Amino acid sequence: MKLNLFRLALKNIGSRRTRSWLTILGVLVGVTAVVALLSIGTGVQEAVLQQFEDIGYDIILIAPANMAGAARSSAGGFVPGSGAGRAGGGMPPTQPSSSSSVPGTFSPESLGASTSEDDTLEHRAEQTKEGISLTSGLDTVLLLTQVPQLIEAGTLGSQIQPVNTITTSGFLRVSTPSLDFLDAFPSVLGGFEIATGTFFTNTTENQVIVGARSAETLRMAVGDPISIAGIPFTVVGILEPNGQSSDEENGEGSAMGDQALSQSLATGGSADLVLRGLTNTDDSLFVLNERASDILTGRSRLSVTITRVEAGASISETKDALNVAIGQQGASGTPISIQEVADEIQGALSLIETVLASIAAVALIVGAVGLMNTMYTSVLERTREIGILKSIGARDGQVMTLFLIDSGLMGLIGGVLGLILGSILSLVGTRLLGPGLGVGSFSPVIDGWLVGGVLVFSFVLGALSGVWPAWRASRLNPVDALAAE
Amino acid sequence: MLVLNDVHKTYQMGETQVRALRGVSLELPPAQFSVIMGHSGSGKSTLMHLAGCLDVPTSGHVEYGGMDLTTLSSRERADFRSSEVGFVFQKYNLVGNLTALENVALPLLLRNTTAKQAQAQAREALDLVGLKERMTHRPAKLSGGEQQRVAIARSLVNDPTMILADEPTGNLDTTTGERILKLLRRFTDNDKIVLVVTHNPEIADMADRVVYLRDGQVESQQFQEVAR
Repeated sequence: MKLNLFRLALKNIGSRRTRSWLTILGVLVGVTAVVALLSIGTGVQEAVLQQFEDIGYDIILIAPANMAGAARSSAGGFVPGSGAGRAGGGMPPTQPSSSSSVPGTFSPESLGASTSEDDTLEHRAEQTKEGISLTSGLDTVLLLTQVPQLIEAGTLGSQIQPVNTITTSGFLRVSTPSLDFLDAFPSVLGGFEIATGTFFTNTTENQVIVGARSAETLRMAVGDPISIAGIPFTVVGILEPNGQSSDEENGEGSAMGDQALSQSLATGGSADLVLRGLTNTDDSLFVLNERASDILTGRSRLSVTITRVEAGASISETKDALNVAIGQQGASGTPISIQEVADEIQGALSLIETVLASIAAVALIVGAVGLMNTMYTSVLERTREIGILKSIGARDGQVMTLFLIDSGLMGLIGGVLGLILGSILSLVGTRLLGPGLGVGSFSPVIDGWLVGGVLVFSFVLGALSGVWPAWRASRLNPVDALAAE
Repeated sequence: MLVLNDVHKTYQMGETQVRALRGVSLELPPAQFSVIMGHSGSGKSTLMHLAGCLDVPTSGHVEYGGMDLTTLSSRERADFRSSEVGFVFQKYNLVGNLTALENVALPLLLRNTTAKQAQAQAREALDLVGLKERMTHRPAKLSGGEQQRVAIARSLVNDPTMILADEPTGNLDTTTGERILKLLRRFTDNDKIVLVVTHNPEIADMADRVVYLRDGQVESQQFQEVAR
């Protein structure tokens, strides 16, 4: 009997094609929005969490705690991390022979910098001059002895420096990882894999490794000369692309990125920004910290100490021990675990996803109201038909079921089509949004829960929208219904 | 036997009470072709609705085979209509988006009959009213007479014990009307109660019994022998 009612409902939908499709369209739009936003949102979350997993949840980074701490640290000059502490002593710095003045046209775009008209070279340079230096001032060798739970520690610095090549000039981020950092934490820099050329061969020569995108935009090859802060360097290697978004795509220039980074650290802001600024390998130049600490003395600098916790050790207890050790060294820093960073980002992403899904849900509710309106109109239009059905023996429940199947089917059809369209949109969306979101390439997550949930939800939503009209239909007096025109 | 015992029906129309039936008592035996006549507003259609369990009286009793229909629930009345009653209306009352075959099969589809079985029975019913060739047509593609024959086929597809027709020839020309009435009359051969409500005196000539209603009351009854 239910099957017969199902057939009758299908017949009815088919016979009112235009209106049925318009009603279905309302549900379809809502479901499409929900599917696209949820699948993209979940995809972004998974991609971001995967990045953190790649880095490792056993890592605690120590960022300069605040502006005052940073000021104290920078007052005494650039304080290198353990790399300098370990290796710097035995390796005298090589003074720059001359500063290379390279003719050419400055092109901010070529350096992955912001291209907005307000963000001119002069403006950027001024920011750099007035930039702030934020370093933890920690001795990582000492730190390893102070905190027994730590098994590795290293320093990763970043500074903005004027860069000249044969063809162009401008400001660029120069990352300064220590040797032990590169040895222990290559995953933080996306593996730090050399595409062409070699790894740093020593700490006495002015060697630079160039990020993939920087090499492309600066048109650099292995062996090319490059001047950083007026000091001549030689390109020894070019990195594999890391799939990260460029600063330009993020709407931040390199200088601005680090400025924001510094301020974020100073105010205890988003740890996400710290990592993003420091680990963007594609748009950076890399000079060993052991070398940079001797020759690159620009003011706008940032460095963090990165440590790895022994397997099985408590992260929170290690953080407490680190706080004590930082105090004992007279340094200034705030330990942040990768888990905390991940939680912070996931929290933010979840919030964004919830807000977007709520907006999409509003679209879905609008679709449901449209469906209810259609069903109500349908009851009014089909009053006589309801009378006919009752006169030939249809029970109240059957009339109600017929209308519920009718509305539920329209909801379900809208759900299925919305699911298909939403999936297509999310696939297209991830391709378009992927680079801009700064998570590299990622895929939308359309799992069984989403598919099943959407189908059940759209059918139930459709049926619920039809409950009131269907109830009205079932309660109609057959004599009155038959008398309807 | 359908028995109406002192049946009253009062409608509330706004602030006005309309007394459609005022103490009607009737006995309608099987195999009888009865006609209810009267002017508009005499209570003919109301009587038919009460007889067919489409409505309940304000007071009095409607009994069928010893069962008091006035005590039935909404669901039981629907089941009674489904199994015992076939309605034929003046405006045919076919479902516009269904074919003639689907319209006739509809009462069966509301019961536990499979779609295949329902279609087979619907074909037989359409064959009986001479519309087998038109069964795939929708009502809009059928003439008034054809639509009424589809309605008659629908009314008898459940093999009901009574067929109640409200002005079945009201929208038809004389010739077609006569054919329809002859068709209805034939059902009394199967011991069915056939009750036709009309204000057309020519139909009365074909009836075994004519009941005249006036202002909601039985004014007179007339029994007559009609050649079959």
